Amino acid sequence: MSALDQMAQLVRLLPVQRAGAGLVLAALGLPVVGVVIVGLDIMPVRFAMMHVALLGIAIGQLAGLDPVLCALLACAVAGAGVAPLARTPDALSGAMGLLMSLAIAAALLVLALSGVNANGAFALLWGSILAVRPSDLAVLGTLAVVVPALFVWRRRDLALLLHDRELAICSGVPAQRLTVLLLVLVAVSVAGAIRLTGALLVDALTLLPALAARRLGRSLGAITLWAVGIGVVVNATGFLVALGWDLPPGPVLVLAAGAVALVAHLLPERGAGSWRALDAVAPH
Amino acid sequence: MVCRHGRLEAVGGVDLDVAAGQKVALTGTNGSGKTTLLRAVLGLHRQVDGGILVGGRGCRSAAEWAWRRRACAWIPQRPAPGRFPLLAGELLSSGGDLPEAVRAARRLGVGSLVDRPLSSLSGGQLQRMHLARAVGCVAAGAGVVLADEPTAALDFAGQEEAAEVLTGLPVTLLVVTHDRAMAARCDRVLEMAAGRLREVS
Repeated sequence: MSALDQMAQLVRLLPVQRAGAGLVLAALGLPVVGVVIVGLDIMPVRFAMMHVALLGIAIGQLAGLDPVLCALLACAVAGAGVAPLARTPDALSGAMGLLMSLAIAAALLVLALSGVNANGAFALLWGSILAVRPSDLAVLGTLAVVVPALFVWRRRDLALLLHDRELAICSGVPAQRLTVLLLVLVAVSVAGAIRLTGALLVDALTLLPALAARRLGRSLGAITLWAVGIGVVVNATGFLVALGWDLPPGPVLVLAAGAVALVAHLLPERGAGSWRALDAVAPH
Repeated sequence: MVCRHGRLEAVGGVDLDVAAGQKVALTGTNGSGKTTLLRAVLGLHRQVDGGILVGGRGCRSAAEWAWRRRACAWIPQRPAPGRFPLLAGELLSSGGDLPEAVRAARRLGVGSLVDRPLSSLSGGQLQRMHLARAVGCVAAGAGVVLADEPTAALDFAGQEEAAEVLTGLPVTLLVVTHDRAMAARCDRVLEMAAGRLREVS
């Protein structure tokens, strides 16, 4: 059976269709979250949120609540909690590291208290794209609407905030409130993506398209559009290739996104023509 | 008022009264606290004891800070190229009056660069862009301009031009500068040394 036949056969299955829909929805919201992560320079956030999610799961198991819901809530609270430290990018990165250590320690403590097997809690972190449930699609769909909508509505404020916090403050941008909102969105998105697609895929869906777009776009608007475009193309092709050649979707998607990011970094920087060349044109 | 950086006292016991419409030049050695003083007015420096009133208003609530930052246009020292791309046009529009800021940018010779990201501008072009933004702020209602070495990166002709634009604005001006020509255009010249202020002329 050729790869194409296999692909055609597989896409008729409901879980595969759901996974495909999930990936397309994810490509609309998560790369934009990646742009925020790159813009605020908080790459370690995904590790921190993974540990916080684990803490949420542990608390959920101890209290007998839905562990996934607890993980999302814990991440949202943690995201809002570190926001006051966002005055300088260094402080925020450091806070993420601290949060990570505290969360894993607390999670292990809670797991020991609740007497459940720690492996059971860890297993919830390794989601699979083919196990996507309708409720997960709802989370992804909400993010696919909310995140781009925020970017359209507050475009000016976001561009200023990600460029220079002090300039934004002096231009009347509610920097503190906007940072809290962004960090909560980042935290919830990362937690959601980890649960849906496994920890490895989070990079493919959020960071890598944003890193590639950062090289290709010259303004926040252009970077956001590039990130979403790259996300959609990478997710669709990566998923079809995984189906056709019977490969695990997670690694294929990461490799595809990574290849795009690599190519973007090897391209000569667009529009970086020296300002000297421009000086001749500018009237003085 | 007193400003601290950690335990270090950067500005000590400054008592300054600037009348509306006055142009004041703030000179002094490097590290004498001039920049900290300006940043304290905008609330960018937070370890401040004492009070700062602009237009008779202090700052206790968020709304009062918002008013203060609308009332005071800021030209930062060595404007940062920024962590994330921002178009020059977006910088100009952040002042509140884009058409006026673009007009000022044209006058300052950087009108053709509004579609470029700030990271692709030279230091002098960036400084002109920030000056144009401040003109836009004034058009949008700011009554005070706080300029921190606004001519440091400019060539001689540019320094002259920037000083003319800045001192020609119908506002209260507080300008940190090492440029004698700029200081000469101001009504008052103050000198700062080791965090203390003294009147020169």
